[in-house]
Order: sequence, then C-alpha cells, then structure tokens
Amino acid sequence: MTVIARRLAGHLARGLVMVLVVTTISFVIIRNIPGDPIAARYEKLIEQGMSPDQAERATAVLYGFMPKGTLWQQYVDYMTGLFTLDLGESLMTPGAQVTDVLFEATKWTVLPVLVGTLLSFLIGVMMGVYAAIKRSGKLGDVLAVSGSLLHGIPQYVLALLLGALFTTLIPILPSGGTADIMFEPGFNLDYIGSLIEHATLPVLTYALASYGGWILAMKSSVVTVLGDDFILAAELRGMKRGIIFRYIARNAILPLFTILALSLGLLFGGAIFIERIFNYPGLGLMLIDSITNRDFALMGGAFLLITVAIIIANIVADMLYTVIDPRVRSGEEVAR
Amino acid sequence: MSDMNPAVALPGNTRATLRRNFWRGVWRVLKRKPSRMAGAIIVLAFAFMGVFGPMFYPDQLPRDDNALYAPPSWAHPFGTDFEGTDVLALVITGSQYVLLTGLVTAVITIVLGTGIGLFAGFRRGRWDSVLMRITDMKLTIPGLPLLLVLSTIWKFSSAWEMGLVLGLLGWGGVARAVRSQTLSLRERGFIEAARGLGLSTTHIIGRELLPSMAPFIAMNMLIAVTGAVYAQVGLFFLGVLPFEANNWGVMLNLAVFGGGALTTTAALPYLLAPLLAILLLTLGIVLVVDAMDEIFNPRLREE
Repeated sequence: MTVIARRLAGHLARGLVMVLVVTTISFVIIRNIPGDPIAARYEKLIEQGMSPDQAERATAVLYGFMPKGTLWQQYVDYMTGLFTLDLGESLMTPGAQVTDVLFEATKWTVLPVLVGTLLSFLIGVMMGVYAAIKRSGKLGDVLAVSGSLLHGIPQYVLALLLGALFTTLIPILPSGGTADIMFEPGFNLDYIGSLIEHATLPVLTYALASYGGWILAMKSSVVTVLGDDFILAAELRGMKRGIIFRYIARNAILPLFTILALSLGLLFGGAIFIERIFNYPGLGLMLIDSITNRDFALMGGAFLLITVAIIIANIVADMLYTVIDPRVRSGEEVAR
Repeated sequence: MSDMNPAVALPGNTRATLRRNFWRGVWRVLKRKPSRMAGAIIVLAFAFMGVFGPMFYPDQLPRDDNALYAPPSWAHPFGTDFEGTDVLALVITGSQYVLLTGLVTAVITIVLGTGIGLFAGFRRGRWDSVLMRITDMKLTIPGLPLLLVLSTIWKFSSAWEMGLVLGLLGWGGVARAVRSQTLSLRERGFIEAARGLGLSTTHIIGRELLPSMAPFIAMNMLIAVTGAVYAQVGLFFLGVLPFEANNWGVMLNLAVFGGGALTTTAALPYLLAPLLAILLLTLGIVLVVDAMDEIFNPRLREE
C-alpha cells in the first residue's frame, strides 16, 4: 500500500506544479494583452464617476488583482484568489462568479463526452478483438483500415461532415443548442426528448472520432497477448476456446483502461471544436466565447479547469494501472 | 579519424551506386501497390499547389458579383463564396499558408524533438531526468486550449510565426519516442563496438545512431505535417484569429458561421471544398508513410 501512497504523493506534487505553471501562463498573458484591458476598465470606471478607490476594487473583483501595484503584488493577489477558488467575476454574465459559470458549463461537457467515449470504448474494444482474431481475413482488414482512417481524420472535419449530412442534406437533427426553448426545462418527456435529440450529433461525433483509436489499440493489444506463452500453454492443456478467449480478453483490455482514463481527461479540451460547431454550451465553447468577448477572468478559469481535468486523469490512469497490474503494486519496475 | 573507417569513406562511385539502388528500391516499392503511387502523386500535387498555386492568380481571384453562393458549375467547380469568388481558387491560393506552416512546424518539431531526445537518451543521468520532466509537463498542458489562450496576445499573422509556435509546442512526443529509441539502440552490439573502437561521440550519434532512426524520424515528420495542418486550420476555423491570410480554416469558418452551411444547402460546396482538401492531403500522407515503412524496413520488403 505504501507504494501506492508514495506514487500518489508524487503525482499530487507534480500536479500542483502544473497548476502553478498554467496559472502563471494565464497571468502573464492577461497582463500582456495589447491595449491593457485592466487599465482600460479602471479608466472607464473613473470616467463613469467612480472614486479611484471604488474603481480599483471593482476592477480587482473582475480580474482577481488590483489594477495598480507592482507586478509581484498582482501575481500574489491572483494566486491567493485562485487557491480560495475565487477567480473573479465574469464579464459576459455580469455579477456571476467565474467558478459558478464554469461549473454550469462543465455539466454540458461531461455528459456528452462521457456517453460518447464509453459508447465508442465498448464498440471499439469488441471490434478490436474481432479485427485481431480475423486479422488475416477480409473483414479484419476492413475494420483495421476504417479504424486508421477514422483515427486519422481531425475531429472537426468529422463533426462538419456529420453536421452537413444530418442537418443540411437530410435535415433530421437540430443543428445546435442543448434543447428547444419552447419546452420547459425540467423533468418532463418533451424536454428530455429534445435534450437527447440535440445531444445526438455531439455524442455521435465524440464516439466516431475516438472509435478508430480503440479498434487499433485493442487489436494490437490482443495480438500481443495471443503470442504470449500462457496462451500456448492453455491451448496445449486442451482448454476450451471460450475459457482461453476469456484469458485473452482480460489481459488485453488492461492497458486500455489507462488509455480510457487519459482520454477522458483530454476530451475536456478536445471538446472545443464539437461544442463550437454544434453550439453546445460546454467548457470549450466557454473558452472561445471568453476570448472573443475579452472576458479574461473566465478565460483563465476555463484554461485552468481543462488542465486540471487532464492532471486528474493522469493521476487516475496511473493509479488504475497500479491497482490492476500486480507487478507495479509490488514495487517492481515495469517497462511501459 | 573517420577517414580510416571503411564504412564511412566509401569511394565516390560506390556511394553513387548505393544511392541509385536506393532510388530503384523506392520506385519498386511504389510500383508494387498502386495506392502508394497515388499517395506520392497526391503529396507531390499538394506541394506543387503550395509552391506555384498563387502564381495562377497573379492579380485577383476570379470573381462573379452576380453569382453569390453559386452551385458547382464548369466555370466554378466548387461553386462560389459569399462574394462570388471562385472556391477552387480560394482553396488553391490558401494552400500556401497551410502547407508552409506544416513544413515549418515539422522541421522545428523534428529538429528539437530529435535533438532533445538524443541528448537525453545518450547522456542519461541528471540531464535526462530534467529534460524528461520538462517534456512530460509540456505533454500535460493541453495544446489547443493553450493556443487559444495565446491567440489573445499573438496574432499569428504569417505562416512562419504560426509554424514556429506549433513547432515549439509540438516536440514533446517526438522527444520521448527518440529518447526511448536511443536508450534501446545504445545497448546494441554495433554501438558498443563503435564505442569500443574509441570513435567520437559525434561519430556514434551522427553515423551510427541517427541513420538507424532515420526512417522513424522521417515518418514522424510527415505525421507532424498533418498535425500542424489540422491544428492551424482548426484555429482559424474557431475564429479567434484575425482573418488576415487566405486560409482553409478561414473558409470553413465563413462557410459555417457566415454562410450557415449547417442549415442551408447553398454554402455546402464552400464548406466541402476545404474539407475535401484536408482529407485528400491526409490520405496522401498516410499512403506515403505506408510506402516509407516498407522502403526503410527491409524485413517488410518482399523481393
């Protein structure tokens, strides 16, 4: 157990360093934006008849640090605000805390990403096993080639093609948003039906975009396990094919769980294109909107949250590996 | 020193023969599968388009003020855009920015990635762990969000700038891969023999290590080109950068968010033309990578 604890501690320390790095990047960028929005905001408030003190405080609420003062003082202010989860106020939705805006958006990212990824994981893994077993046949070839093609196409190309197909050429799906506004949000059939209808295209794109990767990963994993000695031993002992198959599947799927954890973290940032194309109000769309509307507090917050998701996914992936793979657990070095 | 090594100081004509054999091998590999030939032709065509494309339209792009969002026709094979400009001409002239960025990115990615990977893998020890920590950190920071955030202070107005930024952000994966290759290669017999002979480090790296990794590096370079093309077209498509240059991403943005290509059919050809260009380029590069795999890997070669 101590091995796991030590690894976890190391991960957390490194994660903290990463958070520091990312927030420092945000701070440096916000400070260096051409036209200095912080000073501009301050001047504007003064012009509107605020006293310098008031204006200073109002600006600080927005950006997390005082418009005047040394660079170091501003940096410390920004960081302390961060660690008390105070990211300032959003410019786009006046009066709303950045943290609240972000949590509202996270909901719309997590749900479609989770459904899409799990769907493609299940189908991709099954197809991958099939492609590995039939790898010399025609069907295996077709599966592998379609896998590499889907894996190679960038997400936004896939999203645009699916969008053009299902909203323009055969208009059966809505082109954007989360639900029709004519339905009352809440737990009623109309609203939920509309939700599902609107989520179909984003989920389908997530699923198709990652499906190719799963096929390829599972296929190569199964092929590796097939060559292992214990499979040969099992065959020589005359075990039933079904039992051998279970051996293969259990061993081959192990490395994929780590990739699954990693990809869930990456998808937080990867959702940007899909959310922009289908106008889905998740974290990615929030990041873009904050940039085009010059809402820099929100931008820093969204960037931080996306990075934290990746850090957490990394930790989960490694912990998962430690728990499933007995060699790592016992402290043995494993070449990965 | 190296003049004494027979493998290095080949007489001129032997080297020429080797080179001729190499090109003959390339030709054979290409000829056996027509798909690879198609891949090479596609990649060459794109290179030609990137270099000479803008020269076909020296003054102004063909424009028809009376035909906004015209459907495909003989005069305009992919229709026209919102102001009647020929879409095909836009794709051709836009390719220069896209491909030049791809090339710059690929070169920077490969030079930095290979250099850092080789150094870390060959030196090992403290330098190795420091460099790999940095590489891991770089790999953790999400690339696209970072680019978006950077776009607030940097406008990427020229293809060179864009390529530079993408290259500086992208070397992490190559560095990791080259390092692990170096770590395994340096324990092999031929490297140990070279070290035993007292050959210099530059010789071992330049003449023994790099050539064995060349195919791997070359393939990574092509993959880096596609990665850079996707990234920059995506950035322009998202609309966070000013539309200074003519670019496939700008076309996609205007088609979807200006022309409403996801709600009406009028702007559909305008949307599909750059998408088709991206898909074709991807296909060409995938096929060439497949061919390179066989050219450089003698075990895959069927004589």
